[in-house]
Amino acid sequence: MSGPRVDAKVVMLGKESVGKTSLVERYVHQRFLVGPYQNTIGAAFVAKSVQVRDKVVTLGIWDTAGSERYEAMSRIYYRGAKAAIVCYDLTDSSSFLRAKFWVKELQNCEEHCKIYLCGTKTDLIEADRSARQVDYHDVQDFADEIKAQYFETSSKTGRSVEDLFRKVAADYISTTFEVMSEERGVNLEQKKDPFFYSCCHN
Amino acid sequence: MAADVHNKAVPWETANGSLAPVERLRQDRCDSPTPGLVEGTEPGAGQDSHMFVHAQSFEDLTADGDDTRAEAAGSENTSRLGEPADEGAQGLPSEEEQVEEKESHPGSRAKEEDVTSEAWRRHRKHVFVLSEAGKPIYSRYGTEEALSSTMGVMMALVSFVEAEKNIIRSIHADGYKVVFLRKSPLVLVGVAQTLQSERDLSRELHYIYYQIISLLTLTQLNHIFQHKQNYDLRRLLAGSEHLTDNLLKLLDRDPGLLLSAVTCLPLSSSVRDVISSSLQAAKAKNLVFSILLAGSHLVTLVRKKDQYLHHMDLHLLFNLVGSSSSFREGEGWTPICLPKFNTAGFFHAHISYLEPGTDLCLILVSTDREDFFNLSDCKHRFLERLRRRTAYQALQEALKNPSYSVSQVGIPELRHFLYKSKSSGLYTSPEFPVPYQSEEEQERIMELYQYLHSRIHHPTRPLRFIYCCGESENLLAWVTSGFELYLCFSPLGTKALAVSAINKLLKWIRKEEDRLFILSPQTY
Repeated sequence: MSGPRVDAKVVMLGKESVGKTSLVERYVHQRFLVGPYQNTIGAAFVAKSVQVRDKVVTLGIWDTAGSERYEAMSRIYYRGAKAAIVCYDLTDSSSFLRAKFWVKELQNCEEHCKIYLCGTKTDLIEADRSARQVDYHDVQDFADEIKAQYFETSSKTGRSVEDLFRKVAADYISTTFEVMSEERGVNLEQKKDPFFYSCCHN
Repeated sequence: MAADVHNKAVPWETANGSLAPVERLRQDRCDSPTPGLVEGTEPGAGQDSHMFVHAQSFEDLTADGDDTRAEAAGSENTSRLGEPADEGAQGLPSEEEQVEEKESHPGSRAKEEDVTSEAWRRHRKHVFVLSEAGKPIYSRYGTEEALSSTMGVMMALVSFVEAEKNIIRSIHADGYKVVFLRKSPLVLVGVAQTLQSERDLSRELHYIYYQIISLLTLTQLNHIFQHKQNYDLRRLLAGSEHLTDNLLKLLDRDPGLLLSAVTCLPLSSSVRDVISSSLQAAKAKNLVFSILLAGSHLVTLVRKKDQYLHHMDLHLLFNLVGSSSSFREGEGWTPICLPKFNTAGFFHAHISYLEPGTDLCLILVSTDREDFFNLSDCKHRFLERLRRRTAYQALQEALKNPSYSVSQVGIPELRHFLYKSKSSGLYTSPEFPVPYQSEEEQERIMELYQYLHSRIHHPTRPLRFIYCCGESENLLAWVTSGFELYLCFSPLGTKALAVSAINKLLKWIRKEEDRLFILSPQTY
């Protein structure tokens, strides 16, 4: 047996300690680990199957390290990704600047990758409104500009986490079917098939 | 002095001809119940090939220095613990001095400490890393910002001595040793009030240096500082501080780093062979090393033919896995430089636990950064294969007792020991018995071992044999060309008893060697 077959590559990007790992942890294992902050080393890969209506999609999620040290490596993680969840910490304005950097990077290198902006740690804002450093409407405008979806999540309470990944999976299904119907016109296999048929069946 | 001085060398020492054909001795080993004293025949020596780069403890680490080696000066020494024996070695510190500041949250850094406080000064071992421009990169205690002027002074000292075309190695004052390690573009400084020698402290600084290299590669590091001399390296190292913190903790506690050796999970050789061959079967084109760990114990290691792993690189991998929970969440994929292999480039490591909740961690090291899915596939193949065999149950069983009790040896006065087979680079050691169960006590006994190690490996006056009496234990160390042995006895034992225990212990290790060591390392 080999590892689970992956349909869609999803990459988590964003500044360190914004909560990418917690988001994945909440989504995949439905838990939130309290304890000292542990930074991700390199990247962690985890696969999860989601059912959207009658289809099952396996998301291969790449949880990348936020540290600048791994920036040169990040290309290998987002290459060929169908979706990128660009995270920033709602209580840290510098993390939003970093998110903009990642968006630009994706637009330049991976134009077919769908972008999902994700503001994390809403529980902190609910506890103390003044903690918010990134304005909702600013992000909304930015999201419209880059044609991205926008979510605000809390891995601690689980708020919107499921919605986010569900949307990723649903978008993947709808686009793949579009692409597949397009591709039917130019199928390179067709060139070969008649040849095989002619020699085996005739 | 507890003063029975032996004038005669130990009889077997003289017969210790390293000129004897090793091959023949190897064949003899099964017949002879007395363990061979020559490298290659000692208990635990590998049968056909070595697993690691052959390294004579730390001599090869400091080889770039100009140490004069007085290998021939094998001597025997009996002294009282705590008695000033050498220029640098001060007495055993009293209890009060040994009380170390306990961090309130283990795992979180003791960062917010006041660097002007007495508590900060009292830390037993400080480590500082700075750039050649004098910019702080790392401090074990206290924030780097608060210490920038201190580090400036350190750099000034280094440059001042260098201006005279000289190199500063260490400063000894007031019970402190300040050791400098210049590894351009970095400068490392250790400040210790432990019993360790300057050389051992320098070895530890080497570890810290290689830890940094393993994250960045030397090429990248040089490139950065050539580009911008006053670059703040903390930007790139962000998030890695806990790796360095943990490595320093290991250096204080883990005998493997002291002995430059690795310990194995005790496992019957037939089980280990099945695991090794399953790992061997799950190979891929660019796979260089497959390493299976159980906590800090090695289960097995399979390597590409002709490629050797240095124990130091393996310790860095142990540290990486041990100090991060991030590999528990999924399959990790990270670039890592193995500095003793090559400081210029990155390997790519696939790191994952075999199953959720287990301590078995598999590290697959590849040269190709696109290899993730190939290696992930290797892991699954290995696991599938292993699950079908009974060896897997035996392995799970062995995990419940990753160590053994010293009472199995059957020497009542013996409390603890470290035994390293030099040719295989593996060591074995029982769990710490009752008097040494607290962390403080373990660090204390480790410091005594470090002290013996320093004496044995003294750069100008190395010893072959040393026996020390202390208040709470008696210690003995003996080094031959085949092994290093450190023993800890109850304080009521005598030297004669200790010496007679050696043979008994060596016989026991010989009897158990196929369980305690990896005798037949595998290659792909």
